[in-house]
Amino acid sequence: MATSSYPAPESPLRSVYRWADERLGLADLAAFAAHKRVPQHAHSFWYYWGGISLLFFVVQLLTGILLLVYYRPGKEAFESVRQITYDNDFGWLIRSAHSWSANLMVFALFVHLFSVLFMKAYRKPREFGWWSGLGLLSLVMLFGFSGYLLPMDQLAYFATKVGLQIPGMIPGISGMVEDLVRGGPQVGEATVQRFFALHVVILPLVFLPLLGFHLYLVQKHGNAVPPGEARKPAAERRTIPFFPNFLAQDLAMWLIALNVVTILATLFPWDLGKMADPLAPAPLGIHPEWYFMSQFQLLKVVGVIVPGFGGEIAGMGLFGAATLFLAAIPLIDPDSRFGRRAKIAAWGGALVMIGMIVLTVWGYAAL
Amino acid sequence: MNYPTWDVPLIGSVWVVGAIAIFHVMISHFAVGGGLYLALAERKAVREQRTDWLEVIRKHSKFFLILTGVFGAVSGVGIWFSIGLASPESTSALIHNFVFGWAMEWCFFLVEIATAGVYYYTWHRVDARTHQRLGWIYAISSYGTLVLINGILSFMLTPGDRWLAAAGTGTEPAYFWSAFFNPTFWPSLALRTLVCCSLAGVWALVTASRLEEHLGELKAEVIRWSVRWLIPSFFLMPLAVLWYWSEVPENSRHLIQAGVSTIGSGLFTQVTRATLVTAMTSATILAIAYFLAWRNPRDFHLGHAVAVVFLALAATGSTEHAREMIRKPFTIGQYMYSDGVRRLQVAELNRVGYTTASPWNHSLDVGQLMFRGQCLNCHTLDGYRSIRRLLNGRDRKGIANMLAILHDQPKTSPYKNFMPPLAGTPAEMDALANYLNHLANEQQAVAGVSRGATHP
Repeated sequence: MATSSYPAPESPLRSVYRWADERLGLADLAAFAAHKRVPQHAHSFWYYWGGISLLFFVVQLLTGILLLVYYRPGKEAFESVRQITYDNDFGWLIRSAHSWSANLMVFALFVHLFSVLFMKAYRKPREFGWWSGLGLLSLVMLFGFSGYLLPMDQLAYFATKVGLQIPGMIPGISGMVEDLVRGGPQVGEATVQRFFALHVVILPLVFLPLLGFHLYLVQKHGNAVPPGEARKPAAERRTIPFFPNFLAQDLAMWLIALNVVTILATLFPWDLGKMADPLAPAPLGIHPEWYFMSQFQLLKVVGVIVPGFGGEIAGMGLFGAATLFLAAIPLIDPDSRFGRRAKIAAWGGALVMIGMIVLTVWGYAAL
Repeated sequence: MNYPTWDVPLIGSVWVVGAIAIFHVMISHFAVGGGLYLALAERKAVREQRTDWLEVIRKHSKFFLILTGVFGAVSGVGIWFSIGLASPESTSALIHNFVFGWAMEWCFFLVEIATAGVYYYTWHRVDARTHQRLGWIYAISSYGTLVLINGILSFMLTPGDRWLAAAGTGTEPAYFWSAFFNPTFWPSLALRTLVCCSLAGVWALVTASRLEEHLGELKAEVIRWSVRWLIPSFFLMPLAVLWYWSEVPENSRHLIQAGVSTIGSGLFTQVTRATLVTAMTSATILAIAYFLAWRNPRDFHLGHAVAVVFLALAATGSTEHAREMIRKPFTIGQYMYSDGVRRLQVAELNRVGYTTASPWNHSLDVGQLMFRGQCLNCHTLDGYRSIRRLLNGRDRKGIANMLAILHDQPKTSPYKNFMPPLAGTPAEMDALANYLNHLANEQQAVAGVSRGATHP
């Protein structure tokens, strides 16, 4: 039987891959992923929290775009959210997924922050990773604050009103807060418009490049190993390939996180209160979202000890000092040589974390 | 009103039944699908002369015996106990109509439970052929219990026109087979059979994931064989759901659709939400089964298998919850309402009174008696479907207006599709309005109403 001199035909999928590879260099990327390895040890579980935070951000990005289709800032803000929640097919689901993923993202970021802190993953050469992470967390909290007002119901209105009083107390900038953020003496349509611009344009414009920078640094320096693991001889340290092993585990965690969002969003959908009425009395027990509760309670507690304006300044000073301490940690404990400095960073970090938890629980108990 | 009411604070009697039933469904469907799994797995092992497989199957049959024989049987009795307390009228109606069916089910069940024990304890004690026969006897008898229970459960949603025409005449049991093979019997049986196969695979993953590391090749084979049990569901479940959907009453379809556009129609939009949870968790099970179990069977550990079991529990729970909810406002479709009042009785009760014939009316006031008889079956005071929350700050007049809507059931009533008509004379309605006003506006906690034991 005669044999053909023509090569065997390529499968369609293979052809598409070759076409893309010639233009995008996919094979190089695959080879790089195959060589990249991720440390495996008793604390590997904490590596997933950055990825989980990223997933929640992606969920918010997608659901946020869908909400944009129906949301109308300004005078009709409340009515448009009412339509999304009660009239549009699956509008309630998209809104609930957006809100739940926002809260879960803040939670995941805090877990990520403190796991990085206690695994000392801020040390040389990862300082910029730590600072960019802190920046991302601050932006996420601003996302939360600005997004909270957008439905313009009673709770959103009064929570924002109370929230804006805090920067308004700082001498020198109170006028600026009124003009720039609130858009007038009272929270109103102009505020919603400004918060909307902040939430969907300004913050994403700052957040996305910073996120890109953070991910670049994670990629460049790889996963840090905790000091106890780093002290082990190289032969005793275990690693697994990033592709496919770690990626498969990461995807499994994403799947779990996605289930958590879906189950919470479907079984506990985000409700909408009554339309904001500036003349109505503030709802009883008005308080900020849980991730601002520790600051809120700190101001309340210090205000009792030091009454008046001095107390407010002292409270904000304490909060500022804790934030500055977190930012300075890579400078306090730059590398493994400084035993005493390492202890200050660890115990200081633990104090901040415990303080936040205690103040948050205390805040809710005191409502 | 012939029976005492069972007052369970916070979760309500409905969730006592629900929690036991969801747990039972997880086990009992495994008992059916797992029987078929054991029989086919042993057949394969004997044909291929795989002694290593036989040892895995023997271990799995021990796990199977303990789980189904202990937890399945106990929770099954628990269902009887709880439905008898929570819905005595419905339970009584079912027993009167299906006593023959339940007698058959008990026969199958006795064979099933006895064979499960014999099957495990005769490993390596009887010849392979006899042992395989035992496996098949178990599989067939356990499937028999499913067929019989399915007939009764599907009857509760769609009793069928012939049986309904005889309802209330005293000749209902003569229409046993018509009631049994009711409109949703076959699609429901198809759905439950697929669930049984899936749960057989899901639970088998628990045993297979525990195989030691040095048995890597065997572990991979068993895990992949178990994953195959999920394949029929993957392809056929959407079709079976569409078939079932086409047979359920219009009102039930409306309930499933109610939550698509809103969360605002009271608690009944939960049906849609529960259905979404089923879809999400089922899709996740399939994803884990493919990516973790099928693609990487050697790395599939007990933690993964337990996660799949919990996901299956969530899927089962939400499906059973939705199935129960779409029957509203009936417990037996078009025949008996969820408060135990028969549809044909309502006009008579409106004329002579709901509480007059009650043996308990000497100890409780009429309003409380009405509340216990017609509200407490589905609502609690402060917990699940809280009466205080649902009254939503209404005053005495607002409460009376709402009760009038529930009683008269005008076409425009928002409650009509979900809640039974409120039966009783004007004086009883007035007494109920007073009692609800007392609960909602005059006191924060009524000690008596949450202590079922102190009242009949």
